Amino acid sequence: MRSLPIAASTMTNACGVGTRQVLRAMQAGVSGLRRNDFAPAAALATWIGRVDAVDASPMPAEYAAYDCRNNRLARLALEQDGFVAAVRGAAQRHGANRVGVFLGTTTSGILATELAYRAIVRQETEGGDVLSKELYQCRHNLFATTEFVRAYLHLSGTAATVSTACSSSAKVFATAARAIAADDCDAAVVGGVDSLALSTLYGFHSLELLSRHPCRPCDGNRDGISIGEAAGFALLDPAASSAVHLEGAGESSDAYHMSSPHPEGAGAARAMRSALHDATVTAADIDYINLHGTASRPNDAAEDRAILSVFGATTPVSSSKGWTGHTLGAAGIMGALVAELALRQQWMPGTQNCECVDPALACNVVLASQPWRMRRVLCNAFGFGGTNCSLVLGIAP
Amino acid sequence: MTTLAIAGIGVCATGMIDWTQARSVLEADMQTALDPLPRLAPECLPPVERRRANATTRLAISAAMQAVEGMLPEDIAQLPTVFSSSDGDGDVLASMLVALAQPQVVLSPTLFHNSVFNAPAGYWSIGSRAHAASITVSAGAASFVAGLREARGQVLARGAPVLYIAFDAPFPAALASFARSAEPFACALRLQPATESGGHKYGRIDRPGPERAEDERDEPLPSVLRRRFFANSAADALPLLLAIARRRRARIAFPWLDGSRLWLDYAP
Repeated sequence: MRSLPIAASTMTNACGVGTRQVLRAMQAGVSGLRRNDFAPAAALATWIGRVDAVDASPMPAEYAAYDCRNNRLARLALEQDGFVAAVRGAAQRHGANRVGVFLGTTTSGILATELAYRAIVRQETEGGDVLSKELYQCRHNLFATTEFVRAYLHLSGTAATVSTACSSSAKVFATAARAIAADDCDAAVVGGVDSLALSTLYGFHSLELLSRHPCRPCDGNRDGISIGEAAGFALLDPAASSAVHLEGAGESSDAYHMSSPHPEGAGAARAMRSALHDATVTAADIDYINLHGTASRPNDAAEDRAILSVFGATTPVSSSKGWTGHTLGAAGIMGALVAELALRQQWMPGTQNCECVDPALACNVVLASQPWRMRRVLCNAFGFGGTNCSLVLGIAP
Repeated sequence: MTTLAIAGIGVCATGMIDWTQARSVLEADMQTALDPLPRLAPECLPPVERRRANATTRLAISAAMQAVEGMLPEDIAQLPTVFSSSDGDGDVLASMLVALAQPQVVLSPTLFHNSVFNAPAGYWSIGSRAHAASITVSAGAASFVAGLREARGQVLARGAPVLYIAFDAPFPAALASFARSAEPFACALRLQPATESGGHKYGRIDRPGPERAEDERDEPLPSVLRRRFFANSAADALPLLLAIARRRRARIAFPWLDGSRLWLDYAP
């Protein structure tokens, strides 16, 4: 693909509101995970990556119809790091109708419906939403957050939500690149927003995938994931100049199982090879890999096999999930923005919460964050349904 | 501007179990009853996955299978897929909501993995051993065109065919207040770059030329179809399917964002 400047970006997750806070927490080795205190699912003995500021960020009156946890989280993130102003600049350059919006999510604002339905079944009378067409269209529906973000940014170009489980907000980069190449738009806001919800917390619990501890990616004693919430956005603008570019994207399907990865990581390896091919680089050109690295036992093992088959055992790799938790539909862009941060700072994040690397893993898992010279990095995002996406980001030549 | 050729087609909806039946419904100025679909059991799924897959997934896959008829399995395995839906699987949603409302929440793992929006894509890839790229998109009332745009972007980027499947299905009565579609509808289009040498068995689609969009040429959809498939974003394909069935040039307006319309030209 033609490389695309990342003209602006911002991320909000359990480590902080805005990229600077997130970087500070990561550099200090402070995890954003905490014991589950999410009231609607308080019965679950697990750890979560919650964004406190969401609860204290009411929606402006004109967007009242969109008021739900997911859209509040989206708005909170949009307001950081000068992102709104950067998008305004792009809209002035290209026209508001020529800037696309492509966001990934797995559950959008489903929490609003979950609580409304529960209130009906439990015959609770106070507060909360009632089931209505507006609740469905503006808060619950998968397009709701994309529609809200597009309205909030005063954009009128092409748009879509991508929902492919935990690869959603990695795929938005590939989709946006195609839309720009196909002349559907001149520039694009890409992002991912997923907030805490009952269906995901209880769903991963039903699969016995939730850790009772803060998740420990790549650790020999890892015992599952911690779910987090996050929102991140990036502005891809061919007319802008930026130190960091999106250079390639690769996508594949496992065609193996709905919720377990291919044990040899065959699909993941195909996505990584395809991303390298798309960026017209080789495995040796990648200086660091940000893992999907959820801390589930089979997932980390499969990703390790996949990387070994494509890159060998020397390329440094690490997972950021110990800081943020697994942010599901936002995981792809969290990985991409950590990769961008790593390139800008020439700083390689370690693997928070991993004390002793699983001896069964062959890759070069980096435990401690450190300065590191990098020209080009790769990040992974994989999901249920056997969906895989890898991205290559690089320093502009 | 590159034209897309339609090399394969599939339909699965109330009264239209496959493209053959859909064509006869669309060719005639239909006044016949539209029969409810039987329980679908797409053959490409292994028995265990066929049991696990929900009705909405089986609906989408039934349409997809028709659009790859006659292809070699190894070619199907390399065919990227684009799925679009406004609403996903309402049955799974309702079952999840009931389970999550209980004092003791017990969720079935199968129910949970069936709840991902890309469940049809996952089952399709397992059933057809398709290991190529797959994406599932949603854009409310504009979902059909959003998926078509994504499919077109992929065809242009790779210069290779893509299988596009649009699907939406009714929500159960418990979610009637969401006012979603009352009927299931899925259609599949196998799209590829148009060449002089053919490959457009079912015609070609393109962005409209420089003429003003107002010189509308699409034939009005029979009102019975419009009523039956109201609020089903996948059924926005019907005017295109009508033109394909009648082998007539058409300029078709599709619902797009903000209540606007987006025009496409169809030529047989």
